[in-house]
Amino acid sequence: MERRQLTVQVGFGLEAGERLAIFGTSGAGKTTILESIAGLTRLSRGIVRIDGKLVAGRSKGETALEPRDRQVALVRQPTTLFPHLTVEQNVTYGIRRSPARGRVTELLERLGLSVLARARGAALSGGQRQRVALGRALASSFRVLLLDEPLSAVDVAAREALRLLTIEISVERGATGILVTHDLTEAQAFSDRLGIIDNGRLLQMGGALEVVLSPVTRRVAELVGYGGFVPAPGAANRWYAIHPDRVLLGSAGERGVVLTGSILSTRPFGSRYECTVAERSGGQFTIHLDEPPAAGVVCALTVLDPPVVHA
Amino acid sequence: MRTPAPAGNLAATGVVPGFPTAGRIVARGSTVLALFGALVIWLALLGPFAALIQHLSFHSIRAALGPPGALDPLWVSLGASAIALGAMVLFGTPLAYLLARGRLPLARIVELGIMLPLMMPPLVIGLLLIFLIGPEGTLGNLLADIHLTGVNTFFALIVAEFYEAAPFYVLGAHAAFASVDPRIEQDAALLGDRSLQAFRRITLPLAAPGLATGLATAWARAMGAFGAVIIVAYYPRGLPNQIFIAFQEFGLSGALPFALLLVVAALPLPALAYLWSARNRSRVAGAEAP
Repeated sequence: MERRQLTVQVGFGLEAGERLAIFGTSGAGKTTILESIAGLTRLSRGIVRIDGKLVAGRSKGETALEPRDRQVALVRQPTTLFPHLTVEQNVTYGIRRSPARGRVTELLERLGLSVLARARGAALSGGQRQRVALGRALASSFRVLLLDEPLSAVDVAAREALRLLTIEISVERGATGILVTHDLTEAQAFSDRLGIIDNGRLLQMGGALEVVLSPVTRRVAELVGYGGFVPAPGAANRWYAIHPDRVLLGSAGERGVVLTGSILSTRPFGSRYECTVAERSGGQFTIHLDEPPAAGVVCALTVLDPPVVHA
Repeated sequence: MRTPAPAGNLAATGVVPGFPTAGRIVARGSTVLALFGALVIWLALLGPFAALIQHLSFHSIRAALGPPGALDPLWVSLGASAIALGAMVLFGTPLAYLLARGRLPLARIVELGIMLPLMMPPLVIGLLLIFLIGPEGTLGNLLADIHLTGVNTFFALIVAEFYEAAPFYVLGAHAAFASVDPRIEQDAALLGDRSLQAFRRITLPLAAPGLATGLATAWARAMGAFGAVIIVAYYPRGLPNQIFIAFQEFGLSGALPFALLLVVAALPLPALAYLWSARNRSRVAGAEAP
């Protein structure tokens, strides 16, 4: 895969047992972050520590832990299986002591891999490969679980169960988990903390809902789904950010900011409608409504508690 | 050859059976041509073997290989090649691995050094080896101290075979290791393997088909090494030398039985290695596709 040159510069700390999801567009540096935490890439500056022990980077008088002693499990994207081994051999690869037969069978069962236990990598679909990679990580003895879009190729129906399995096992181990993804709902489902990364920089970090409801900058707002920005009164370079799902038809000043807009077009959006709106100050954005007015209608819109963002 | 398309497909393909289109004629013609070409090349390559068998009589084989000591060159060649091969595996495998992982400084220079024996005429290698391990050379002097003379000895034969064959193994092993995704090795290490364990459990099995091909080629080259060998190791007489000497003394009929012996001794291993690695390659192929 060809990658453009990108300097990734982030810093954060996690308590043992915490789970963090890092959300960003592709090419934002998410994979680099995971590989750095695992100690697999050379850092030009800075250090990574797990349980106080050096994993990557240079520190006087310390040598970094050997990979085998890091207790880090990594699920990569695209998945990297051991192609000459069967599904079961892949999953049990990291188990040092001879594993209890029943536990392996149960894990394969819950991963939906029982019938494929003897198959080799070449015979698997993308989603199946991801299940194997996830299983291989979960079966190993990890203290830190690093997941790079681990369920992107798994059919949506099976994702929920695999996500719960992942959370269950990492909680059982008291392990720290980091998920990187470009799917915001996936990020929120995995963790109660959310970090937004763009262009190699961590822009904002906070609660999984908090970051979405109160983005600080316009860029963060754009990344988490805000489509419209109208100038906030009284300050230059300050905008109300408009999220398509947080707009009501009608004027309800006590619940937020009331704007006047004309409906340009309307189309079905899942069980609701998506409307393109032109705001009086000239901005255009889309909103989601249950019962939209006809195109051409000028109406009042209430934007629920819009965050004020800066450039 | 015309296979009638099932009726249901006609609408989809838009081709009416029985009416050859220009494209179909060209396609069929080029297939025939390709098959014919493949057959010609295959026969041409096998031709010399056929000639070898045709010109050998049981009588002449017994006359050449029957006398006591007549098989000695075979044992000499087998022994020297086996030791040369062992040395290649011992020194060449780590070298090839480090090259493939880009962990050697001045990798291009190192690679050039490995390629050099391939580019040089074997006769010239032989002459240069005299300077290196012969009695006049520095290294030769050191060798003499431990009673290893570098000219016309079993040791010299091994060295000459090594020079002619080792590049084939190292380059083959280099390609084989380079084909193994280093990220899977990292995965194995994170899952608890020491580097040697990861090498044995992951790298080696995945590189094995390529290693086998490299080893087989090197074996064939070592067994057949002649140019450098005849300069530095006229004695002890290996099979290639024996063929040359028999040819000089008795002509074609005297040399052919030894030629057969060399082919029979040198070829099965590479052929088996090739078949085995082809089977393994197909087993693992495609497994890395995301």
